[in-house]
Amino acid sequence: MSPQTVFFIIFSVVILVCAVLVLALNRISHRLVAMAFCFFAIAGMYFLLGAEFIGIIQIMVYVGAISILFIFGMMLTDHRAVGFGPERSQLHKVFSFLGVSTLLGMMLYGILTADLASSSEPFVGSVEAIGLELYGNYVIAFQGVAVLLLAALVGAIVIARKEAE
Amino acid sequence: MVSIQFFLALAAILFCIGLYGVLTRRHLVVVLICIELMLNAVNINLVAFSSIGPFANITGQVFTLFVITVAAAEAAVGLAILIALYRNRASIDAIKQDLLRW
Repeated sequence: MSPQTVFFIIFSVVILVCAVLVLALNRISHRLVAMAFCFFAIAGMYFLLGAEFIGIIQIMVYVGAISILFIFGMMLTDHRAVGFGPERSQLHKVFSFLGVSTLLGMMLYGILTADLASSSEPFVGSVEAIGLELYGNYVIAFQGVAVLLLAALVGAIVIARKEAE
Repeated sequence: MVSIQFFLALAAILFCIGLYGVLTRRHLVVVLICIELMLNAVNINLVAFSSIGPFANITGQVFTLFVITVAAAEAAVGLAILIALYRNRASIDAIKQDLLRW
């Protein structure tokens, strides 16, 4: 086995186990830790694919910022409640599971039967290439995303602050 | 190098775990976490195609940057709505938020 295969197996096991733990653990804080580890393993997957810049951005934004944001969201709301009394009905869960597994089966069938030629060496995108593309072809989208971030920032503050009497 | 099908299969499984969580969990913070998991699954697909796909080029990584930005904005606004909801209704149970239900 090549080292890439070994790392791919390790990262996929960590990603899937942590994603299942997000659904299975009891306390909300433990779920957040599982989520952070899941994002970390996804960043490792980006490094494996040769996308170093995206991996670093993933660690900074997801593991650094969004996890902390979720921890604050958890602390400011109902974090002591382990459960909410009676769960959703069993029928709802069974139907959700059936629907999701049907979707997964169809997607896996499509993926595994598709004839995709994958190159043996990963294409390494340098930061310079990303920057040139971002400020060249996608400059309007870049500005739009900047405006979106500003609007989200202002909106989050307005929504979350106390109503004036 | 690992074949691209394995990356796509991993992303599909991660997406379905997130979708199942969104459909069945009642704690709204967990629902938001599951939405983030689904967005990450999409990002894995984009980076895999951009790196070892049939037409490997840089566009997938640029698009991943946009997706990460939108996901960050979504998390911020979602948690702000959650805090406002908890202040007004004293609960973040998804079932109890039925004010707009017909």
